[in-house]
Parts: sequence; C-alpha cells; structure tokens
Amino acid sequence: MADIPERPPVMRGHPGTREISGRIASIVLKGQMPRFFWLAFLAAFLLVLVLFTTVAWLITQGVGTYGINIPVAWGTMLSNFVWWVGIGHAGTLISAVLLLFRQDWRASVNRFAEAMTLFAVAMAALFPILHLGRPWFFYWLLPLPNTHMHWPQWRSPLVWDFAAIATYGTVSLLFWYIGLVPDLAVLRDRAKNRAAQLFYGILALGWRGSAFHWARFDAVYYLLAVLATPLVVSVHSIVSLDFTYGMAPGYHSTIFPPYFVAGALYSGFAMVLTIAIPLRRLFRVEDLITKRHIDNGAKIMIAAGLIVAYGYAAEFFFAWYSGNPAERMMAWQRLVGPYAPFFWVMLACNVGVLQLLWFRRVRLWMPALFVISLLINLGMWLERYVIVVTGPSTGFLPAAWGTQSLQWVDFGVFFGTLGAFFALMFLFLRILPAITIFEVGELADERREA
Amino acid sequence: MTADPRPALMAAFPDEHALCAAARALAGRPGMDAFTPYPVEGLAETLGMRRTRLPLAMLAGGMAGAVFVYALILYSVTIAYPINVGGRGLNAWPAYLMLAFEGGILGAALAGGFGLFRANGLPQLHDPVFATPGFTFARGGGFWLLVPLGGDTADALRARLTDLGGERVEEVPQ
Repeated sequence: MADIPERPPVMRGHPGTREISGRIASIVLKGQMPRFFWLAFLAAFLLVLVLFTTVAWLITQGVGTYGINIPVAWGTMLSNFVWWVGIGHAGTLISAVLLLFRQDWRASVNRFAEAMTLFAVAMAALFPILHLGRPWFFYWLLPLPNTHMHWPQWRSPLVWDFAAIATYGTVSLLFWYIGLVPDLAVLRDRAKNRAAQLFYGILALGWRGSAFHWARFDAVYYLLAVLATPLVVSVHSIVSLDFTYGMAPGYHSTIFPPYFVAGALYSGFAMVLTIAIPLRRLFRVEDLITKRHIDNGAKIMIAAGLIVAYGYAAEFFFAWYSGNPAERMMAWQRLVGPYAPFFWVMLACNVGVLQLLWFRRVRLWMPALFVISLLINLGMWLERYVIVVTGPSTGFLPAAWGTQSLQWVDFGVFFGTLGAFFALMFLFLRILPAITIFEVGELADERREA
Repeated sequence: MTADPRPALMAAFPDEHALCAAARALAGRPGMDAFTPYPVEGLAETLGMRRTRLPLAMLAGGMAGAVFVYALILYSVTIAYPINVGGRGLNAWPAYLMLAFEGGILGAALAGGFGLFRANGLPQLHDPVFATPGFTFARGGGFWLLVPLGGDTADALRARLTDLGGERVEEVPQ
C-alpha cells in the first residue's frame, strides 16, 4: 500500500474498442469459466434447493413456523423484503441517476448493477407473498373483480407496495433489456456456433447500429432514466409507509421515507462492492472496473450511511421528545431489551465500521473494503429486523408484549434467497455481457482521442 | 459496372470523425444511413432525421397510465363497491395519487420501450445491410455509411466515397 495514486482513473491503459469488445464478449462466448465459478454456482444452487424445501414447509405448515405470533406478526419475511428491495435500489441509482449526471465511471458497472436490481427485486417480491400465509391468493391484490365483487383496499400502503414493486420490476427489466440489445448484437456477430448465433441473434432483435436507431435509443434511454429516478424514491418511500401507517410504537414516524431510501442506497452499494470486488479480480477486468469505481462506491456509502445514522438519532430523539411512554419504552427496549444484541451489532456495523471508509487507504485496499461491505450488508439486515420486530413486541399494552424468535425457517428462506440471487448472478455472468460493451467502447475512444 | 442495378453503396470509415465529415459532405441525399458501434452525437441529424416523437409518446403513455389507474380506483370506490366508513369521503385522492403515480411511470416506460422498438422497426432479424461484405456489428467492424446511388453511377459514388476517406466501399445486396 506504499503508493496510492491521487485519483485512480476510470479506465487504465488505452484499450481500443476492438480489444474491449473481444475481451468482454469472450468471457461469455468462450465459456471457459474458472473452476471455482462452477463450484460457487453449485453452492448457490444447493441453497436454492434449501429455499424450495423451506418454502414448501412454510406453505404446508403455515406462517407460525417462522416464529411469528401475536403481537409480533411481522418477522423476517418483512425485514428480508425491505433488505432485498433496498439492495436493488443501488443498481437503479448507478444506471439511472449517474447516467443523468453524466458520470463516466458508471459505464463499466451499470450492467451488472442493473442485473443485481432485477434479481434482488425478484427475491424481494417472494417475501410479502410468502408472508400472506395463503400465498396462492396473492392475486387478490390485483384489481380483478370476481363474483364476490371485492376490490383491493386502495388506501392501504400494502396495495401501493404491490403496485410499486410490480412497476419497479417492469421498468428495471425494460431499461436493462433496452441497454442490452446493442451488446447482444455484438455477441451475435462474434458467436461462432449456430446455437449461440440463434440465441443472441433473436434476443438482439436485428440491431444493426443505425444512426437513426441510436438517436431514438438515446432519447428513450435517457427518459427511462428520468422516470426511474423518482420511481426508485417512491418505491422505498412506499415500503417505509407500510410501517408508518401502522400505529405500533417505532413505526409511526415521519423520518421513515428518507431514512429508508438512504438505507436502501447504503445497503445497495455495500452489495455492489460485495459483487464488484471479486468480479473485477476473477475476470481480470481491473482496468475496466478500476479502483476509482470502488472508491466512488465507498464514498456514496459514507454519505448514505451518515443519513442512516442521522435516522437512528432522529428515531431516539423523537421517541423521547414525543413524551409518549410507549414510544420511550420501545426505544429503551431497543437498547437493553431482548433484541439489544441485534441493535448493538447493527450500530457497530452501520455506524462504527463505516467510519473506516473516511480513510483513502481503506477505500483502496480491496480485502478490507470487501469485509466492510459484508459487515454493512449484515448491519443493514439487522437494522430492518430490529425495526420490524421491536415496535410490535413492546406495544402500547404491556400485558400484550411478546417476541419473535428466529427459527430455522427464517434462516432457510433467507439463505435460500441469497443462494437464488447468486445463482442468477452466476448465470447472468455466464450468458450475458456483465460490462456494457458499447458504452465502455465509447469511453475508450474518447480517452484515446484526449 | 455502369449498368449496376444495385441502388446503394456502403463505405467503412476509420473513425466517427471521418464518418461524420463524409456524412456532412453528402448531406441532403435521400435514404442515407450510418452504422456505428455506439451512438455518435449529431450523426442522425446530419443524415436528415427529424426530431423523434418518442418523448411525446412517453408523455402520452404516462398520462394515460395515471388517468387509467385513477379512473379505475374512482370507479371501484364510488360505483362498484362504495363503503361508507364513518362518513369519510369516498374519493381519498392523496392515497390514490400514489397508485396513479406508479401507473403513470409504468405507462410512460412501456410507451417508451415498445415505441422505441416500433419506431426502429425492430425486431427485424434480417436486413440487406447484414449481407454487405465485411459488415459486422461486432466491434472492429468500423463505422459504415450507407449512401443510395440516387442519380449517380456506382463508379462515381464509389470514387466520391473513397475521396471522402472511405477505406472500403461495398455494394449493398438487394
């Protein structure tokens, strides 16, 4: 760590467009993945089997199997949901917000960040459905008048949530696919065997890079980014309203929407780094995903993390300032009650460990940053869990206090979705270009001219 | 080659600047097109593209989505299934705006996405351009300019394109 460059460049060296497209495309087309790649995929796939088993158990036995009961009727299904949605948001921030701000460092990380968004939202969407208890009735949230003439309760944030997540997933998929089409055309024209040519050829829709097509592509791509930016804020605000509409102590707070959005970016960037740090090393793309990307990601974590820390402070301040004994007791129980260990570990990860990122040496030292990002992922999961369970567990009526205890089903479903997420990520790395070829190529040409 | 029935030539240029310069020099000829590995700013305007109406389509899609969702809710709470809860108003618009907003975003995004494919004529898995010798969209294929013959002979246009810096001039198969 002796010499640290003042500001690492967005791209190292001067690779040409031909070299870049060849390197990125060959990861997919040659298909010679490192051995550990398939071992890691196998591990992830075993977790997928755990997910199926646990979900089957959960559905046949009922939601009580994961430790919820009155008064704590919301358990890890809700905290996992919030955690996964939050992880998705960093992908949208990178792909949409940084596009609008014309940040050139987004080019080599946006594709896999968008994939991360899609897969994270897919995982998130499972949880509220599993939480329903009778998941096969989830379509009752849709406005489909049946013979009973019932309609969704439009005033309920849970219905808004359903609409927000569905919209978010659809828009993310559309944005991802539109950006993918030109790269699929590159793969189509580089593929050597017939099956790959057909596969990428059909997905590329006949893209030929016409100037007219590119002009329309640019117009729509930017406008989709303009749409995705308020969408992402609305999605996590609505997620937080699921809580604030409830009258439980600790839920009913106006700080929640901004606090949740910041928390989403915080945990999302932690996940981006968790994926990017090994990815750039394993696929030898350190010159495309440089330390500048990693450094910038860490800086965004500092900003988002400090807003989250302010959120913690505000929660405690308003618990005291409200003068409401139930609110005060809930806050006090967070510090010393049955969930205190979770709370203190959360504080240590999200506020304590975060402070290390002020040091450039730490931000540029990959193993340390990787561990920090894992710890912040853990901390953010604990944060959501603490928020979900502490409120109802110490409600307004002390006679009706209770706790949620973590069961094997909690862990099975959670680690199962982690496995499904990484299995999907691995398949994505194998099948689709994880780095945007056309944008990185454009960046490379600009840099060669400069 | 004077009686060449094929109506267009494609020329490969070494970079986007040479391509843009050639496009400017030939500007005004109908039916020109260019093929680049990434978007080149201003190229489509040089080739005679008018402003795309896709943003308007997205606006219309967004408005339609929002109005549709709000109208659906209004129908359900006032006509299909009105519930009187303590005399509260049926049209609780602050709550419904959240859903109308999501509907608007979805409508605009779908209008933009599908409008883009429609305006570009995609999917269109084959085009004569693909059959042009040397043309490929894999990187390193170059920056191509497609020029219809118009009134020129193929040889005259070929000479013109070579003068403008075209490194390789090919006929587009019919």
